[in-house]
Amino acid sequence: MKRTLVILLRNPLSAFGVLLVATVVLSALLADVIVPFPEHRGAVVDFANFNQPPSAQHPMGTDLVGRDLFSRIVYAYRISLLLGVVVLAIAVPIGVTVGLVAGYLGGRVEYVLMRLTDVFLSIPPLVLAMSIMGVLEPTLINGMLAVTAMWWPWYARLVYNLTRAEREEGYVLAAEVLGAGRVWVMFREILPNCVPSIVTKMTLDLGFVILIASSLSFLGLGVQPPTPDLGSMVADGATYLPDSWWLTVFPGLAILLAVFGFNLVGDALREILGADQ
Amino acid sequence: MTTLHGSLRAALFCATALGVTAPLAASAESVLRLDEVPVGQLDPGKASDYADSILMFNAYDTLVLPVQGGPGMAPHLARAWEADGDSWIFHLRDDVTFHSGNPMTAHDVVFSLERMQALGQGLSYLFGVVDSAEAIDDHTVRFNLSEANSPFVSALVRLPIIDRALVMENLADGDDEMGDWGEAFLAANAAGTGAYTVSAHNPQEETMFLRNEDYFLGVPDAAPDRVRLRYGLEAATVRTLIATNEHDISSQWLPPEVLRAIGNAGGQFLTETSAGAFYVKMNTTKAPLDDVNCRRALSAAFDYGAIMQIIAIDEGVAQGTPSTGAIPVGMLGANDPDAILERDMDAARAHLAECAHDPADFTLEIAWTAEVPVQERFSLMMQSNFAELGFNTEIRRVPWAVFTDLATSAETAPHISQIFANAVTGDPDTLLYGQFHSSAAGTWQSPEHLADDEVDRLLDEARRAEAEDERAALYAQLNDRLMEIAPTIFAFDRVSVFGASNRVAAPALSDPDAAFGLDGMGFSFRLMDMTD
Repeated sequence: MKRTLVILLRNPLSAFGVLLVATVVLSALLADVIVPFPEHRGAVVDFANFNQPPSAQHPMGTDLVGRDLFSRIVYAYRISLLLGVVVLAIAVPIGVTVGLVAGYLGGRVEYVLMRLTDVFLSIPPLVLAMSIMGVLEPTLINGMLAVTAMWWPWYARLVYNLTRAEREEGYVLAAEVLGAGRVWVMFREILPNCVPSIVTKMTLDLGFVILIASSLSFLGLGVQPPTPDLGSMVADGATYLPDSWWLTVFPGLAILLAVFGFNLVGDALREILGADQ
Repeated sequence: MTTLHGSLRAALFCATALGVTAPLAASAESVLRLDEVPVGQLDPGKASDYADSILMFNAYDTLVLPVQGGPGMAPHLARAWEADGDSWIFHLRDDVTFHSGNPMTAHDVVFSLERMQALGQGLSYLFGVVDSAEAIDDHTVRFNLSEANSPFVSALVRLPIIDRALVMENLADGDDEMGDWGEAFLAANAAGTGAYTVSAHNPQEETMFLRNEDYFLGVPDAAPDRVRLRYGLEAATVRTLIATNEHDISSQWLPPEVLRAIGNAGGQFLTETSAGAFYVKMNTTKAPLDDVNCRRALSAAFDYGAIMQIIAIDEGVAQGTPSTGAIPVGMLGANDPDAILERDMDAARAHLAECAHDPADFTLEIAWTAEVPVQERFSLMMQSNFAELGFNTEIRRVPWAVFTDLATSAETAPHISQIFANAVTGDPDTLLYGQFHSSAAGTWQSPEHLADDEVDRLLDEARRAEAEDERAALYAQLNDRLMEIAPTIFAFDRVSVFGASNRVAAPALSDPDAAFGLDGMGFSFRLMDMTD
């Protein structure tokens, strides 16, 4: 772990990634302390100061009802990250279990589970999430559900392939000969050997979950106002381009930084952990 | 150079649309380019909204037209008319031909009315009072009404006259003896007498118009030769296109900031005052709003000044004018234009003291229409206004289709909702009856579910009264009554504002003496001048 971090920081590109991720995560955690106008995350109006360009008081300008954009972006990070963590916390265990069971047991179980996975994978992710959100009411919880539904199959396929390769390894056969149960073999023997790949993918995905959630709210299907959300900020501001550029550019940059950061770190992890194997 | 390039390209586009092979020959023609929200409904039996009105007022004509810059109706396809008991007799011009070349006769008028009633869509409810229409001779038509009805003549501005012979040639199969009443044909083709013919129509994308050289009133040389009406352009696109002289007139649905940007980039503002207003509706059946004093408290606490700030665009230009009461200024029964409503917190607290409910016991739901983003700002403003009286509020974004459904029942209609409404014929009856008569409760116009005998009586009597001053007196009483029982916060009188390039002059949208006072009529292309 410590060694991984050292390698990460030695490469300038991945060090930059770590810096970005740290900024995003820390600002989300410390939002209440660092933002100038914490109350602006809710339904506050200040019509005397609406739609102001960036200034010393409002470093990223104000939105159409006079709320400080910087404050709202920081709070939006908190919600985006929360959404990303929750989605992965649900999607990864489901996907991993499905992949392990299908890959290890094989036969009819494999056939049923993997065809089900294929069905989900065959629908473009955003279309799937949009159709789920179209039926459900657009709330934060439902947004998480929709994104989770499109995410677990990728883990199922990844772990399935890894399990298929590990299944024939000597240590697995040895455990079986010693009389270990199926559950033990799957979760105590095979799973630990898949962890590096899963962790790498999770790091990469955190950025993509934020991007997909923003796309959903850009389309009006995600988190609802007055809750701050990067995607809906971009969508609302787009109407006022190019004059009120700050309404779109800063939330857009915020999405870019988060996705870029997690990607750089994920890429570096892939190389480091892959080399370990 | 940019303009030459622009018009050349537009000309090329038109030439392609028509299959003309000599685009250069068309380069001297003037082209007007504008946009609206989709869809553009070209069928006169189904047309209802603003985009549809633009189509109707250019491709078709009506028996009467609103008088420019004043009240009342002027002759158009009809030369003259007179009441005959409960009937109306109209004498038609004999020099009008349809785009097809067929002469316009009384039989076409009868057909247009019967088709409107048979389809029963769009604005057909305006003609529910007509029992039958008959052609007395080729140029005289009689409408038999079931009862005396003063608003009837003004309703005729919403009855486009259709080319009967052309539609009969193009009937498709249907359940009726009239087949499909030409629905399939009229959805894509215009069959009118209007100053412009429709050369191409796609209801989701665009409609192309060509000047009608045989128009019975003539089309002035300065009017555009071709018009391109596009649907569903993004606000940012429109704003940029106008700045680069590639677009001429925006829709009215742009937010104030974008309109201001168009003005700052050298454009002009066109306006239309169309006998309508912005209304904040209160569900009069739900506690605490079932108590008139609570409603009056909210009406007094509403910040009429701040909302004018939100809708201000530029000096002297705003998407509304201050409200004076329940009836917009300029309409029968309106209050003095100087007696504008103002916020009065003392009065609000006094009313609240008389209200039987304690505001702390309730959370008021404020709904705003998802398609009209500026309403979110209005909601946030009301939230802080009403909080000063101790009311908790919850803001809810509701898509229009969901709202129209919620409004139907008194249980589901939100405590507070927001609509724009206008008199579709210019007559106050079409603005007020649908909103406040108890028989019309439970539509998107009437989520108050108001049931007040006095209001009903005044609305019915004003509909039957014939003399103008008698109607004015009845509507003035209605105005007072509505202010007293406060089912609605009368927030501001509506003005439609359009951003425009300087290539076009539109007196009907800029000079009050030339204005029609009817939604969409200012977009009669024949009255516009192209200045290059």
